[in-house]
Amino acid sequence: MVKEYIVIAFTENQIGVLNRITALYLRRKINIESLKVSESSIKGISMFVISAFTSSETIDKLVKQLRNIIDVIQVEYYTNEELITQEIALYKISTKLFRQNGATDRIVREWNARIIEINPSFVVVEKTGTREEIEQMRQEFERQQLLQEFTRSGTVVLHREPWVQALPNQIISQ
Amino acid sequence: MARKQRVKGAEALLLSLLAEGTDTIFGYPGGQVIPVYDHLYDYRDRLHHILTRHEQGAVHAAQGYARATGRVGVCLATSGPGATNLVTGIADAMLDSTPLVCITGQVPSSLLGTDAFQEADTISMTMPISKWNFQVTKASEIPRAIAKAFYIARSGRPGPVVIDFTKDAQVEEVDFSYQPCLYLRSYHPKPDLDTEAITRAVEMINASERPLLLVGQGVKLSGAETALIELAEAASIPMGETLMGISAVPNDHPLFIGNLGMHGNLAANEMTQQSDLIIAVGMRFSDRVTGDVNTYAPKAEIIQIDIDAAELGKNLPVALPIHADAREALEALKRGIRHCERPQWMEVAVRKQAEEQREVIDPALDPSLEHITMCRALHALAEAEQGQAVIVTDVGQNQMFSARYSRFKETRSFITSGGLGTMGFGLPAAMGAKLGVPDKEVVAVLGDGGFQMSIQELGTIMQNKIGLKIIVLNNTYLGMVRQWQQLFWNRRYSFTELENPDFPAVARAYGIPAERVSDPNELNAAIERLVQAQGAYFLEIVVRPEENVFPMVPAGASLSNIICKE
Repeated sequence: MVKEYIVIAFTENQIGVLNRITALYLRRKINIESLKVSESSIKGISMFVISAFTSSETIDKLVKQLRNIIDVIQVEYYTNEELITQEIALYKISTKLFRQNGATDRIVREWNARIIEINPSFVVVEKTGTREEIEQMRQEFERQQLLQEFTRSGTVVLHREPWVQALPNQIISQ
Repeated sequence: MARKQRVKGAEALLLSLLAEGTDTIFGYPGGQVIPVYDHLYDYRDRLHHILTRHEQGAVHAAQGYARATGRVGVCLATSGPGATNLVTGIADAMLDSTPLVCITGQVPSSLLGTDAFQEADTISMTMPISKWNFQVTKASEIPRAIAKAFYIARSGRPGPVVIDFTKDAQVEEVDFSYQPCLYLRSYHPKPDLDTEAITRAVEMINASERPLLLVGQGVKLSGAETALIELAEAASIPMGETLMGISAVPNDHPLFIGNLGMHGNLAANEMTQQSDLIIAVGMRFSDRVTGDVNTYAPKAEIIQIDIDAAELGKNLPVALPIHADAREALEALKRGIRHCERPQWMEVAVRKQAEEQREVIDPALDPSLEHITMCRALHALAEAEQGQAVIVTDVGQNQMFSARYSRFKETRSFITSGGLGTMGFGLPAAMGAKLGVPDKEVVAVLGDGGFQMSIQELGTIMQNKIGLKIIVLNNTYLGMVRQWQQLFWNRRYSFTELENPDFPAVARAYGIPAERVSDPNELNAAIERLVQAQGAYFLEIVVRPEENVFPMVPAGASLSNIICKE
């Protein structure tokens, strides 16, 4: 059965690791839905969060092959339920429409979003939440024909279990 | 800390190679590696450089050298076309787990990304086909890059590494000192042996009635030949070899039952289907071994031992995966094994061998046949060499006949392009093998198609006086494709027939003594002259044009449906 799997990889911060990782998805013709790379809590170690739709059998084999990349330190995969996932999104709306339309204030309040910039030509609303929440708020703005531009980050994740250690101790202590 | 020395990057490369024990480099110069070649001129006494006639020849020669010696093969090429010409060999080495360090020149770092003359994105191109690659843009990076390259290439499951070396870094000065790489925090090539898994495997083997050992190249790569044979003998377990595993076990061992898979032996395939326990060692259940996975080994539980965790259960489910070095695992296994004899189980092998002799081999050796068959040619070679020669093949029918009829006494005696199936591999790989093991007899067995993909390497053999024996089995066809066309495509021989030149005349033009034999009655004498020749020798054997390799498991079919004739 095809479902969304989120791969979390810790790697050396080296040129080429990103290519080697995405090449293994490409080889099996798996489209990456979302990809986030940033420095982990440890200097010199990058954290990848990659989400893609595939089968459990395929993701299992793919992750084993990801582990063979020399600069990859650790890779695991999860389903959405196993993780706390959040994305951030920015919505750009014309200042004129924002003022004229009575729904804007309500939408921002109801969705727990906030306004981070107002200038004479546009307003920028920021929302942090699950991908679904972000998408639903986008649809509301669109129904009101307010949205000028929209952008979304990749997923940031934390494990649900309190005891999960993201990286092996031997790496952390170095 | 080693003594420091002020040198240029190019010289630092050569000093690093020497520090890793390199004695031979296969290469081809070009604009962006001239600084390396300039320093190489001063190191000729310590670094034996072999100038091939094509970069593909250089990388295949490095592969042959690595496969024959167990050491890391080194090749050197320029940027752009030099690097792209290495690509096939790098991919081949990746699939066949061959340790290589491939060094490519690159345009100066200031020109990277500008489509400069002879610039190619070597790093991106070789990424999916190399175990690791790295671009050196500063001379100071060279010692560490080469140390890592050798460590990664030869440890764990071996593979090819590419070091792309910009020209400015080659001429930049550096204080050189060398430290080998012994550890990388992100790479753990040697798994800890899971003793619980070993205990369980021992129980499974002791409880099994019809166990079977599948021997892959991992046995040779980990030096597990003795441990394997001791385990097999302790519990009377028959052993079958994959194409890449050939020569790990001497052919005359009483428990050796032949080769597995598509053109393997009847006994090995039949016993796979009858076995109740398969112990796979350093092999990866390639589609050429399994045929249809759904009907493969239907009665067997499978224990798979591999140093690469990604191989465990990759192609079919296994009851007990053991992530381990083959030698360590086999040595641990044999300690718990209960001795037993299995005369009934081995009866299957005897019966199937007799059937194969009767159905496949005897007809091909029929003295009344008008043509020499490839079966007969390889048979005669095996008789003459008595298992002492290293056989290097090209790809196709020549390869399968060599795999079936050659005889081996020593490990690492069969060198072939297994995973990638690269035509043109045979001649340069055999050159590399001969240079790696100069005291051994090395015979290249080629087809008329594959020989012409690397025919220019005759020049390398001439210039370097490589004492290589070359056999071209000439059937004037791309024989394996023709066989498929005959059997599965209604005999439509679409573009598989070749009009060939006078091969011995070509060889003689390169100063290599050469002859052609086409009369079956003259075959043995011709092969004897080849064996007895001092130095290089070329023998064209004109063989029956439409001979097929049998037995054969058609692609995707069950091993149980192996066929012995058209």
